[in-house]
Amino acid sequence: MTLFHYIHKDTVLHRMDGRLKLAALLFFGLAAGFSSEFHDYLVAFSVLFCALLLARLPVAALLKEMGFFGVLILIVMVVNAFTIPGEPIPNSPFAGISQQGVITGLRFAGRLLMVLLLSVVVTGTTPLARFRDAVEWYLRPFPFLPAARVATMFNLTFLLLPVILDNFKEIMAAQNSRCVQLRKNPVKRLKYLVFPLLDQTLRRADEIAYAMEARGYSEVRTRATFKSTKTDWLMLAISLLVFLFVLF
Amino acid sequence: MALLETEDLTHVFPDGTVAIEGINLKVNAGEFLVIAGPNGSGKTVFARHLNGLLRPTRGRVLLDGEPISKDLIGARKKVGLVFQNPESQIVGQTVAEDVAFGPENLNLPADQVATVVEESLAAVGLSRFVTRSPHALSGGEKRKLAIAGILAMNPKIIVFDEPFTGLDYPGVVQVLKEILRLHKNGHTILLITHELEKVLAHAGRLVIMHGGRLVEDGKPETVISRVENYGLRMPLREGEKVGSLTWLK
Repeated sequence: MTLFHYIHKDTVLHRMDGRLKLAALLFFGLAAGFSSEFHDYLVAFSVLFCALLLARLPVAALLKEMGFFGVLILIVMVVNAFTIPGEPIPNSPFAGISQQGVITGLRFAGRLLMVLLLSVVVTGTTPLARFRDAVEWYLRPFPFLPAARVATMFNLTFLLLPVILDNFKEIMAAQNSRCVQLRKNPVKRLKYLVFPLLDQTLRRADEIAYAMEARGYSEVRTRATFKSTKTDWLMLAISLLVFLFVLF
Repeated sequence: MALLETEDLTHVFPDGTVAIEGINLKVNAGEFLVIAGPNGSGKTVFARHLNGLLRPTRGRVLLDGEPISKDLIGARKKVGLVFQNPESQIVGQTVAEDVAFGPENLNLPADQVATVVEESLAAVGLSRFVTRSPHALSGGEKRKLAIAGILAMNPKIIVFDEPFTGLDYPGVVQVLKEILRLHKNGHTILLITHELEKVLAHAGRLVIMHGGRLVEDGKPETVISRVENYGLRMPLREGEKVGSLTWLK
């Protein structure tokens, strides 16, 4: 599984200063939200594809794993096409599809795809620790916010997510092997899935807390050092330009 | 004076279950001590008292003659604990990041953290995995990573809680060699296990726990004959000596 996982390579995107990358992520996220015209999508997608190639991520494997999201995006498009009222499409074999619905559906799908690609590029090129340090750096000026604690929680959440997903799959497999699918009541099936998962997750969280305490966990920690290069600023400038282009 | 000492150490859980009771144990610097006992005998609870992760209901733990409750961070620095499940010890997304967790908690300067991480990984032979995800390592390598994470805190004593659980033969050999190297380098080793056949030949002392109590303490050659009284398998066949109880050739 490579989707949403950090893949170590030595590229400008991998080396980029976490603070600037977080800011660039914000600009691109906003660009995705504000995109509405064809040329907006063209510019944003071109930049994102360039980033994907620049990061030397395994594009073929990633596209294959994105299949599930493809289905999701298709559903969004279809639902929009059928539910948004407007002019009917002449000679369309499907009754109830409107031109406005198709256009809105395509816009939504484009935005979703943009967010998906953005997440793939960012998660594939950024170790969690760099994100955590950047989050902490941005929160530090706020006097009543426990920046170190928030950053640790952020880190642990993302660290535990794949573990919880793995546990989920294992519990599912174990229950399927005991024919849980023969139980017709979905609430009961859910109960047999949720309780063990919750139990395991809480136990795991307990173990991690012990392990962190055993290694002297403290909120007064070594502060991360940041180094931004001209290339990092250039990347940030590009993302800002994309956002401004989309906005105006 | 003993390096580590427990006096009347007792832990009762809130539901009234007595996990350990009245444990008195002295560990001298440089010792290699094996603590054995069946499941539920209180070994892990005992280990978690040694660096203050659990607080005793009664009794105390002394480190260099001082109660560890006076300086818990100091105790965690001096007594490294390698957990039974190395996965639960991993908090970093890369090998280097995970080893850096301890020294960063100690608020060491960033360049010193980098040096300590490099040295600790080199010490366990994991230097080539610096940027690798810890979850992609083999069982033996994960245990080595857990050891590197502890070494980065520069402990005097290392407590291993069931270090061979779930490992295949090469994994056991890898970890056992690492433990012996640490002992040779001057670390005091407390190794909790019920798999005596893998390691006892290297220990200078064998302690048996049963029902939360310390029931035997002595030279392995003396204690081994009585292990079956406490729910442990006698690892020696007729004519064999304790020196044969190792998975190293």
